[in-house]
Amino acid sequence: MLNESKVSKIKIITILSCLLLAFFILVLITCVVTHTTLPALMTSLASKEIQFAITLSLTTAAISTILCIAISIPAAYALARYEFFGKSLINTLMDVPLALPPLVAGVGLLILFGTTSFGKALAEMGLVFVFTPLGIIIAQFFVNVPFMFRILRGTFQGINPRYEHVAETLGCTEAQAFWRVTLPMSKNGLMAGSVITWSKGIGEFGAALMVAGATRMKTETLPISLYLNMSCGELDLAIASATILIVISLVTLFIFERYGGFARVF
Amino acid sequence: MYSEDQGASKKMIRIESISKDLGEFFLRDVTLDIKEGEYFVILGPTGAGKTILLESIAGIYRPDRGRIFLSDCDITDVPPRERNIGMVYQDYILFPFLTVAENIGFGLKSRKIGKGEITGKVDELAKLLGVSHLSHRYPATLSGGEQQKVAIARAIAIEPRVLLLDEPLSALDSRTRDYLREELKRVKEEFGITMIHVTHDQTEALVLADRIAVMMNGRIMQVGTPNDIFNKPRNKDLADFAGVENIWSGIVRNNENGIVAIEVETGDTIFAVSEYPDGAVKVFLRPEEIILSEHKEDSSARNVIKGRINELQDIGPLTHIKLDIGLIAHITKQSRESIGLQRGDEVYATFKATSVHVVRE
Repeated sequence: MLNESKVSKIKIITILSCLLLAFFILVLITCVVTHTTLPALMTSLASKEIQFAITLSLTTAAISTILCIAISIPAAYALARYEFFGKSLINTLMDVPLALPPLVAGVGLLILFGTTSFGKALAEMGLVFVFTPLGIIIAQFFVNVPFMFRILRGTFQGINPRYEHVAETLGCTEAQAFWRVTLPMSKNGLMAGSVITWSKGIGEFGAALMVAGATRMKTETLPISLYLNMSCGELDLAIASATILIVISLVTLFIFERYGGFARVF
Repeated sequence: MYSEDQGASKKMIRIESISKDLGEFFLRDVTLDIKEGEYFVILGPTGAGKTILLESIAGIYRPDRGRIFLSDCDITDVPPRERNIGMVYQDYILFPFLTVAENIGFGLKSRKIGKGEITGKVDELAKLLGVSHLSHRYPATLSGGEQQKVAIARAIAIEPRVLLLDEPLSALDSRTRDYLREELKRVKEEFGITMIHVTHDQTEALVLADRIAVMMNGRIMQVGTPNDIFNKPRNKDLADFAGVENIWSGIVRNNENGIVAIEVETGDTIFAVSEYPDGAVKVFLRPEEIILSEHKEDSSARNVIKGRINELQDIGPLTHIKLDIGLIAHITKQSRESIGLQRGDEVYATFKATSVHVVRE
């Protein structure tokens, strides 16, 4: 009897903590979404500025995600399949952007592209990163590439190399074996990686702020718009940005859970 | 690489002292000749390097040293796709995102063959291996036996010169295994493909092999017919591995017309047919070669040894009996019951001089 009552007490306390936490999250989201009225929200969404922010966010995030895929597929494959000198060091280095505060990453990018001869050479070729949308893309890429990379590395590690071996005995070159077998088998990983990278790209603020600045109607992504409008008291516009960001996050979470990507990120 | 003593059957694969080091697994100076149309089994314990040997033949690994020839062409540096050698793994390795039919047709698609022709060929192979009704299913929904049949169909679809089988039956239950063993024989007969089959299972080797190579620690220890491998092992390790349970050290005391009398460590004298007329030898005797009886039987067999039963153990259809003189005999349960053998009984162990295999110590 005594034991039983003790167990149920623990049960009650732990479940209450759960409920409290869930309630806190729910309240927070509700506060944002209900802060303004629906007509006001619609008007804000239709405004030029929010339209610009939505478009800029979607496109920069899409481009940075494609860049992340393009570099992560070969890089993750190399680390999953081959042994080479310095492999473990590289493995660690790849995770650094995850641990780095985005502001610090932004400062680094700003210095690299703004002050070094490398950055200046790029600028002369027309690739100006500082205070431009290109800067947003590079900031999103740098901060989010570890997510894509880690998911893909785990995905490739999980695929028995014998699939490629069999494909090669059946007439494929190494590249064809990768394209016809490994890549289709990585579909879930690619999907999960793209969704998380894209959604984190849309929410990227700190690094993008440092490199691209916060210029209205120029480098104004949704988070930047939220920040700018908040600081000058345009609450309705700020809430509109926040609401869109919430919707994107929830949809992403749903897709990501579906493809089981979380287990592979961390 | 032509050699004079090819005899009737042509050489299909020649492996010339190849070595490969992959850390945990390795090959050391492996040399083998495999004839065209032969069912060749590579038998060995786990970790002997059997899979690397197959994968080297397939071209997945390039040997550190040595050469590999396919019908007299040096293929050591030829990539797998140009070797025309099929591969079947223990774990099937079917492409999970393709249907059974698409799996079977995978190699044909790489060869840029017309769609109609592929479909025809896939249907034919699916029918041959009895998987037609599964054509539109995905591998994950099939049983192990069905998956392996699809893997075999996929490998032979490219009409390979050689089919490599890496423990193809080891993951299957015993009924499926027996069935698929017959299927493999049939595939060989039907297509005349040279088969190289890796296994650790002696029964499988005995039933399937034209010839067997025993492999241990990355080396080929003995190559021969199943009879050679199981009855005439070349040394003690091979005898142990082949299930020869009676192994003695002895000294040849007498030699009469090729029949030698060997005094073994237990003090008994064993008669054997041997090419070694003197000196220290190892004596091997398979436990199935021994007949047990209560009375000394009148027979032409040279060896009759008296002993007492220490242990009786029924294993499947056989009874394993251990005598106090260290002799181990396997007799059928039926004959044990008809004689009525019990622990402690005094018996005569009878075996022929020709059943005893002798090698130099």
